[in-house]
Amino acid sequence: MSVASASTEKKGRGWFKEEFGNPERRTAYYMVLPSLLIIVLVAFFPILYGIVLSLTDSTISGFGSFIGLENYTDLFQDSDFGEGLYNTVIFTVVSVALEFFIGLGIALAINRAFRGRGLVRAAVLVPWAFPTVIAAVMWRLMFQSQVGIVQYVAASLGIISEPILSSRTLLLIGVILVDVWKTTPFVALLLLAGLQTIPGEVYEAARVDGANWMQRFFRITLPLLKGAILVAVLFRTLDAYRVYDLFWVLGNRELQSLSTYVYEGVRISQLQFGPGNAAAVFIFMTAFLIALFFIRVLGMRTSVEEE
Amino acid sequence: MTEKNEGSGAFAGRKLNRRDFLKMGGAGLAGAALLGTAGCGGGGSGSGKIIFTMGPDADGSIAELIKKFNKENKGSIEAIHREMPASSNGYYDKLRTEFQAGTSDISVVGTDVIWPKQFAPQNWTMDLSDRFPASEQEKFIPVTISVAEYDGGIYAVPWCSCPDAGLLYYRKDLLDESGISAPPETWGELEEMALQVSEEAGVQNGFVFQGSNYEGGVCNALEYIWTHGGDVLDANDNVVIDSPEAAAGLATYNRIVTSGAAPEAVANWTETESGANFYNGDSVFIRYWPSLYGGFGDPATSKIKPEQIGIAPIPVDKPGNPTYSCLGGWQMSIYANTEIEEDAWKFIEFMTSEESQKTRVIVGGYDPSRKALYDDPEVAEATPVVKLASDVLLKNVKSRPVTEYYGDMSLEMAEQFNSALKGDISPEEAVKTLQKSLGQIMEETQ
Repeated sequence: MSVASASTEKKGRGWFKEEFGNPERRTAYYMVLPSLLIIVLVAFFPILYGIVLSLTDSTISGFGSFIGLENYTDLFQDSDFGEGLYNTVIFTVVSVALEFFIGLGIALAINRAFRGRGLVRAAVLVPWAFPTVIAAVMWRLMFQSQVGIVQYVAASLGIISEPILSSRTLLLIGVILVDVWKTTPFVALLLLAGLQTIPGEVYEAARVDGANWMQRFFRITLPLLKGAILVAVLFRTLDAYRVYDLFWVLGNRELQSLSTYVYEGVRISQLQFGPGNAAAVFIFMTAFLIALFFIRVLGMRTSVEEE
Repeated sequence: MTEKNEGSGAFAGRKLNRRDFLKMGGAGLAGAALLGTAGCGGGGSGSGKIIFTMGPDADGSIAELIKKFNKENKGSIEAIHREMPASSNGYYDKLRTEFQAGTSDISVVGTDVIWPKQFAPQNWTMDLSDRFPASEQEKFIPVTISVAEYDGGIYAVPWCSCPDAGLLYYRKDLLDESGISAPPETWGELEEMALQVSEEAGVQNGFVFQGSNYEGGVCNALEYIWTHGGDVLDANDNVVIDSPEAAAGLATYNRIVTSGAAPEAVANWTETESGANFYNGDSVFIRYWPSLYGGFGDPATSKIKPEQIGIAPIPVDKPGNPTYSCLGGWQMSIYANTEIEEDAWKFIEFMTSEESQKTRVIVGGYDPSRKALYDDPEVAEATPVVKLASDVLLKNVKSRPVTEYYGDMSLEMAEQFNSALKGDISPEEAVKTLQKSLGQIMEETQ
């Protein structure tokens, strides 16, 4: 996208003339125009509308006047937002890191040929098949103080002394563990698919050359798996960054994430509509930057032709 | 020259292109707008049916009353109950979405007592002053009327389970065994008795309540603040929560847990957990709404029988101080944009009448909003809780600080009260923080 706009500026009118001076090309533009309009309407309009809303003092019941960045300054001064941002960042970094390492381990393990491999692969996916809300309700019951098995075991082992659901720190650790439990299989599956595209001959050749397992892993497996790793980690990072259901249901409004902040602002509060909208734009922008970072800095391939 | 011509040629081309673009864009937008209005128009009211929204009708009393109403008005009016989420928050969310769109087909709204003052400023509900005059209002418990008033008008009629109020239930049998003849009058006594009786009787918890970070937690904590002489708003709606009395209330709220009288887990309990705990015989005292009582007669719900239970007012700070219970309950309003307001009013009149309330009280075990029913022998026999709690329900019920932006105030209070209960912040910090944040919200109201 940026390449195209750069060339537009450089050539300016010349480019325009070339594109629209030619009647055939002009017709072509007219023909794609409806599709472009639909894309604008469907994809860009809501985003732009959200941005515009975040720059006004609109409330849930009426469109307001332009107030510049006031919603954003309010937002960054709001301790609830700070808490949501902190929780979300910790959650994203820790859960994605754990999911990646455990997922890679599982992928490497089930990539080998062994008896019952199909069964193991299917079994690994079970947690991932749960709807997140169901998993959250289930785990909340297990963390609960009256019938909760996790609470009971952890308290009898002396690991914790207070009810899990009453402590925000323990709750955050809880949602991280539940997320790891739930989505590690997804990461493992993606990495396994990547592993299976690496031809066996490469390893054979390396073995013949005398490479030990460490060298084989770091020189062959990891570099050839890079594409799959980036896809898996990007997907998980964006997913984790937008986390809502797990926090809302497991934390029962107690644990703030960026998305629950937006929900509270826009849907529950009557007065926090502006900052809520600003937070939604903030999430969109930062998620976009994260994706950009993966694609540009880490060199993720988004399509085959780009190579 | 040529260059200039070329330039203007390109410009002309561009202009043409832009004009076409605008034309097409304009057509597209107009189309979208048409679609939008068409969609809105389709959902308008005027079906002739009274759509009445309310939570689930667990005991069938709503269905029974509606059946009777439809029979009496056969051929002219028909009412239907549209079931809404049982949780007040979920119900509120749904209503807000429909009312904001301005096209709801609802005519009669069952409203939580904290809603009339929030709905009226938005023009979502109708002023009922002409239909519901002071002479009629007098027949209801005063506090249930005050919560429906806004700007000189009245926006709801109190219905059943209104007043709902916080009550202290206790296990009479266990107190007797420990040689205690009367229920606790002060929070200090409650703490001592809870510790003593739970230990002597081998019961898991002394006292349980609803301390979670939610609306019910606000009700619980407010009772502590009120019974210590504190308050959230004064008579002129100034925020006055930053007072030694309010802080003392929250200190007691916290001490009831730190002393061991109540389990730490109450900080994340709601009605579900605390009620189940008491029904299961795992606690000596519980603070709950009148609806708990209905379960004692049902062995599938409760291991505890009605005769093992006593009911007392919410304890106070010092003997002789006034006790307060947090008001809850349901009322009925008319949606402002309904086309059948006459029919809607007829329905409300029917549902809130003495006779209908009596049916609902007897079938469902709710407490009535009409004063006369508190002396009714049939009601007293069918629902002993009404008799047992009538002192509290008639005199000591206090409304939450309901204003136009109560929803936001509640979020702030729920969080600070819960943190103070857990001891994450001191009571003084909690009331200072609330003084500031509630002050900001009240500024928006004026």
